[in-house]
Amino acid sequence: MAKKKIKVIISKVGLDGHDRGAKVVASLLKEAGMEVVYLGMYQTPQSIVKAALEEDADVIGVSYLSGEHLVFTPLIVEEMKKHGLEDVLLIAGGSFPPEDIPSMKALGINEVFRGGSLTGEIVKYIEENIGGQGA
Amino acid sequence: MTRKKVSAIQAQENREINWDDYLQAYYEKPTSFRTWSGYETKELYTPEDRDGENYRENIGEAGQYPFTRGIHRNMFRGRYWTRREVVGLGSPADTHERAAYCFKNGGTGLNTIADVTYEMGLDPDHPWAQQEVGLTGVNIAHLQDMETLVGDIPLDKVSWSLITASTAAAPTMAQYVAVARNKGYDISRLRGSVQNDPIHFRYCGFRPACPLDLSIKLGSDVMEFCTREMPKWYYTTVNMYDLREQGLTAPQEIAYGLGIAMCYIDELIRRGLHIDDFAPRFTFYVSCHIDILEEIAKIRAARRMWAKLMKDKYGAKDHRSMQFRFAVHTAGCSLIPQQPLNNLVRIAYEALAAVLAGVQSLHCCSYDEPMCLPTEKGHLQALRTQQIIAYETGVTNVADPLGGSYYIESLTDKMEEEALKFMKEVEDVGGMEEAIRAEWLDRRFEQEAVKRQKELDQMEKLVVGVNIFTDEPEKTTPLGVQRISNISTKSQIEGVRKLKMSRDMNKLREAINKLRDTAAEGRNTIPAMIEATQTLATTSELLGTVREVFGYSYDPMNIIESPFK
Amino acid sequence: MGRSNPVNPDELAAGLLKGDRRAVARMITLVEDQDERANEMMKLVFPHTGRSMIIGITGAGGSGKSTLIDHLIGRFRRMDKRVGVVAVDPSSPFSGGALLGDRVRFQSHSLDEGVYIRSMGARGYLGGLARATTDVVRIMEAMGNEVIIIETLGAGQDEIDIIHVAQTCLLVLTPGMGDDIQAMKAGIMEIADVIVLNKFDLDGAGQCLRSLETIIHTGMSEDKGWAPRVVPTIACAAKSSDVHGVDELVQSIMDHQAYLHRSKKIEEVRAERIEQELGLVFKDEVEKVVFAGLKGTGKKRKYIESIRAGKNDPYSVVEEVLSTFLKEEILE
Repeated sequence: MAKKKIKVIISKVGLDGHDRGAKVVASLLKEAGMEVVYLGMYQTPQSIVKAALEEDADVIGVSYLSGEHLVFTPLIVEEMKKHGLEDVLLIAGGSFPPEDIPSMKALGINEVFRGGSLTGEIVKYIEENIGGQGA
Repeated sequence: MTRKKVSAIQAQENREINWDDYLQAYYEKPTSFRTWSGYETKELYTPEDRDGENYRENIGEAGQYPFTRGIHRNMFRGRYWTRREVVGLGSPADTHERAAYCFKNGGTGLNTIADVTYEMGLDPDHPWAQQEVGLTGVNIAHLQDMETLVGDIPLDKVSWSLITASTAAAPTMAQYVAVARNKGYDISRLRGSVQNDPIHFRYCGFRPACPLDLSIKLGSDVMEFCTREMPKWYYTTVNMYDLREQGLTAPQEIAYGLGIAMCYIDELIRRGLHIDDFAPRFTFYVSCHIDILEEIAKIRAARRMWAKLMKDKYGAKDHRSMQFRFAVHTAGCSLIPQQPLNNLVRIAYEALAAVLAGVQSLHCCSYDEPMCLPTEKGHLQALRTQQIIAYETGVTNVADPLGGSYYIESLTDKMEEEALKFMKEVEDVGGMEEAIRAEWLDRRFEQEAVKRQKELDQMEKLVVGVNIFTDEPEKTTPLGVQRISNISTKSQIEGVRKLKMSRDMNKLREAINKLRDTAAEGRNTIPAMIEATQTLATTSELLGTVREVFGYSYDPMNIIESPFK
Repeated sequence: MGRSNPVNPDELAAGLLKGDRRAVARMITLVEDQDERANEMMKLVFPHTGRSMIIGITGAGGSGKSTLIDHLIGRFRRMDKRVGVVAVDPSSPFSGGALLGDRVRFQSHSLDEGVYIRSMGARGYLGGLARATTDVVRIMEAMGNEVIIIETLGAGQDEIDIIHVAQTCLLVLTPGMGDDIQAMKAGIMEIADVIVLNKFDLDGAGQCLRSLETIIHTGMSEDKGWAPRVVPTIACAAKSSDVHGVDELVQSIMDHQAYLHRSKKIEEVRAERIEQELGLVFKDEVEKVVFAGLKGTGKKRKYIESIRAGKNDPYSVVEEVLSTFLKEEILE
């Protein structure tokens, strides 16, 4: 059997243009053996979910660095639900206060990786938490 | 035994100490002797390292070419650096309030920053803007917003830094000048600056608003206008800081920043200005990162390089053209959300580096930078950091106190040498404009950013709280979280909608047509933008009109059509 | 979605034929992963394929393929055709991972339900990239896309095999990259129906155009009904008014398609594709069956050891295995 690759969507959402972290994570997840679809900037919840759907992604990683994390998270989660992507892992990186993390998780983010995270932590989390393989 | 083990030990809940490990920790020594940018150092520098040095030629006194030691002989004895904390949140009124707060607590210069929507040239009622208005700065959509921001602040008594970096800097100047004139000020006496560096801003995520040709055009329009009409105004703060934030090393920051500066300089000369007409008002925005000695050396090298560049390449004669005037923003990318109070320490060291390097204007990050906008307390703490350096430490007594240090002079030389290599690389690619167009610079940023992360992952660089002495994640932010009020956001959106419905459309159309014609004829667009601002044209209307003349879509996000067709 | 949902092959195939994007995505994954139910599903899907326009586009990294494709998608959408895109990116030889960045160039279609885009990393397909891609193209046909665009670097035999599946093959070159010589060596020039000279605003573009036209004329055999066209383009420009050549490119593609249909060559092309796919599936399945047979018996390891020890050679080993295997099958 072919080794099943983990497919990850990495995306920014809205106007925020701080993409250094998103690009670095995309690059390093590739070095960890994953297939990463990098969507870049100015994505909407709809375009992110459309990509996740078509690419049959295991993980969606969103990068928030302009205070927009509570604005867009519910919209992304709603869109995911609409298209039956509830068991796709949703992780968020970037810059937000720790006080908001419980809300983000309550809204549907599975895990957050703020600045100062090490790549190994992210890889480990993804490998240990994506859905079971096959049917 | 590695640091990791020590930190692991100390992170244990019960804090039991293994005394053998403890003894090892006592004898611990560093494993790397490289600067932050990766350059090897010797264990001791001596006069031999400065053998053959020509002080007068290579270093010079402070205030003398090539200005390695500072642009003024007496540096802080003549005037403290401006304590200029960046402020920007919510509505113009919110930002005005916080700016006033800083002033009351010892800030000596105003510094207001645009939010992402303003920088993108979008009005608050744009579909893409509505959710993000005011989250990272202030949105100024029209004359009345600028009036609110200014409020009762006497413009002839303050120095105001307007941080709009993108092509929206042109509307920003138009809006500020319009307000100033309406209040009866003589704009030739106004002091302050506008960041106005749209070329670099494409790397901060504003590419739709900053196509290269439009960036050079509007950036230079602002520079030219201010040179002619506002001799006390600094019309650009070429932003090396943002480049550094991409993950660059110290010499790269200088090299690429100077490269971008030259794009503007070349354009202004092409327009017929002489170097000495405008260079005295050219300023820079520089980072100070955590390797304080390297940062000081970097800045000293930058001063020397700028002086030589002005004199040798551009034939400047006025010594003020050769002075590298700069503001510092302590490095945001050096701060981490883990154990946030540690950031106060990092910021303090970085601010110290800036002062030891002879800065003209300083913004200290707030410790909560990696998490949210600064709270009042955060801003206060940043100001106090500056004040402690200014009033308590004594480093202001002497200009360039580290000058003459065998290490610092050697490291300054090294920074210059490496920066010149990076500049040569750009030349070989075909020049800075070509490097930008071919996305060569993008790739360099991406490579460096990955390197920096790998350094942390592989423990080549150690950061307390990240890969050593880590702790359980915090659940709260020590001095509270700054929230943006929904009311502010809504009032901004409502405000611009109402304004659009109540303007004299005839006057507006006439002014917009004039702006369009001015742009089409290749003339400076700022006077026409000022006039249009007076008829209540919005930021997006000013920019959109010029964009169309240059063949771009009216709306950078390609949704809204020009209402003036 | 992910991996945890149970799979009912009939349901998936049915969903796919109705155009259910979830079913399509899931099925593509099963094909990529060489899931044991994939062949059963492909059997259900195959009858509904064979009528789409298939365009293959190769070119070196940085040649602007993705940006060209972005324009092409737009044109086909204006013709009211649904478009499927398979974008193949290189994978890291070290980690097996891939950074699939083609999609980022298709921003103008990020919300268009009439466009389906799937990115694939070039490595990690046990049956080879070509097998996986050809199956994905069939799936995209079955879901109702009238146009399928396959994008690859064109580097390596795998990717050249993929291009044999396409009806109209585009090769994207840029001036001064020395690509024209390289492409000739790789044999891609022989299969390119349209050569796109992108970044036509660069220095030396005119010369490059002329030299390409010369190479084509020299290489043309007499009975070729279609002379490969060279189309200069500028795909990537800050202003849309500076984009050039896309109309001509679309015209060339449509002309080639018209030629194929008019001359009945389309049937030949379809037959070639089937032959190609048959070969790929055959090779793949035979390998699977044979290695499945050896698996667990320790024989494979023993064979390798004996060859290493100089007691045997690969040719004798394969002869032995095949004759045993065939004998067993036949006896059954």
